[in-house]
Amino acid sequence: MAKILIAEDERDIRDLISFTLRFAGYEVVAASNGEEAVQMAIQEIPDLILMDVRMPRMTGYEACQRIKIEPSVAHIPVVFLSAKGQEAEIRTGLEAGAVEYLLKPFAPDQLTERVRALLAQQGK
Amino acid sequence: MSAILLDDELLHYEVLGRGRPILFFHGWVGSWRYWIPAMQATSMAFRTYALDLWGFGDSAKNQRLYTLEQQAGLIERFMDQMGMGRVALVGHGLGAVAATLFTRAHPEAVDRLMAISCPLEAGMVSQRLRGAAAGELTDWLLGRGPIDVTEAARTDAPKADPQAIQASLKLLPGLNFKEFTYGVFTPRLLVHGLNDPAIEAPRIEQYADLPEGTHQVVFDQSGHFPMLDEGSKFNRLLADFLNLPSGDTPRQLQLKEEWKRRVR
Repeated sequence: MAKILIAEDERDIRDLISFTLRFAGYEVVAASNGEEAVQMAIQEIPDLILMDVRMPRMTGYEACQRIKIEPSVAHIPVVFLSAKGQEAEIRTGLEAGAVEYLLKPFAPDQLTERVRALLAQQGK
Repeated sequence: MSAILLDDELLHYEVLGRGRPILFFHGWVGSWRYWIPAMQATSMAFRTYALDLWGFGDSAKNQRLYTLEQQAGLIERFMDQMGMGRVALVGHGLGAVAATLFTRAHPEAVDRLMAISCPLEAGMVSQRLRGAAAGELTDWLLGRGPIDVTEAARTDAPKADPQAIQASLKLLPGLNFKEFTYGVFTPRLLVHGLNDPAIEAPRIEQYADLPEGTHQVVFDQSGHFPMLDEGSKFNRLLADFLNLPSGDTPRQLQLKEEWKRRVR
């Protein structure tokens, strides 16, 4: 079972994503800020990280950069979650090491499909 | 997975979201699982609970609990245990029957009720459903819908105790909920699939005299599972119903044409 780390400070969205992915058959771990996301990535070694851009303590960009310089977790693909209207941030996110951007709000089944496709690319 | 003990019997439920509580109840095939899209669609404004009825999914299998009264009693006991005062109920098939029985007994505890594929009187129930073996229901009621759409109901169907299904089906001919619609002021939305092989969709003239607080909507492209057959339309209707001010009649709700255009 693939493991996914969700880093999202808004509880409702975090719960919805967790619920959606859990019942799509994935193991889900969650963090509520960027700092916690880095710690959990190192502890849990997930197969995929879904990361909000704007989070307290450490932004998603900073957290992604930290993950990408940590050898044990640098290989894990990071997908940024960002609200519509913030498309200008996509370039910054990709430069920080993300493989993809998902614009919120997204339909739960779209999220599941994207996650499935990204994991399939890794052979998971 | 969340579970509580009600009189030493395990009751499984799942919960998502924050806000006013909604309780979802599945029908004769499947479990809480096929409510996932509806829970996702409403969870930003409501706290959604989907339960496995006695004998289904991961809830207790105990013949003593399989009467319709016990299934309706599950709602009361769950609400008591969770400290809920007044809720919205959404039930399908067997779940709609249980929710309707509960509403009849405790109208003060139900803010509104959406009853999907619920027989209002014995004549609406097909002979085949009354005599159906548990094993044949899954394919018959789910029809030939796409596997990815019906999977949520199929997945947990084998977990059901056939005796739980049979016990409820035997009691269906004794039901008459039509009279009930005239005696209770709880806003009620009746939803039917036009192509439902088990529960006949009421003809418009048949229920032209429904009381002000009750309204029916027929999904013309649906069978027994409107929430799966026409998911987007169903979730819109559900959201509109849940967002009505408390006590308002659902008469104003309808399947608007623009929905059809949008979801095609």
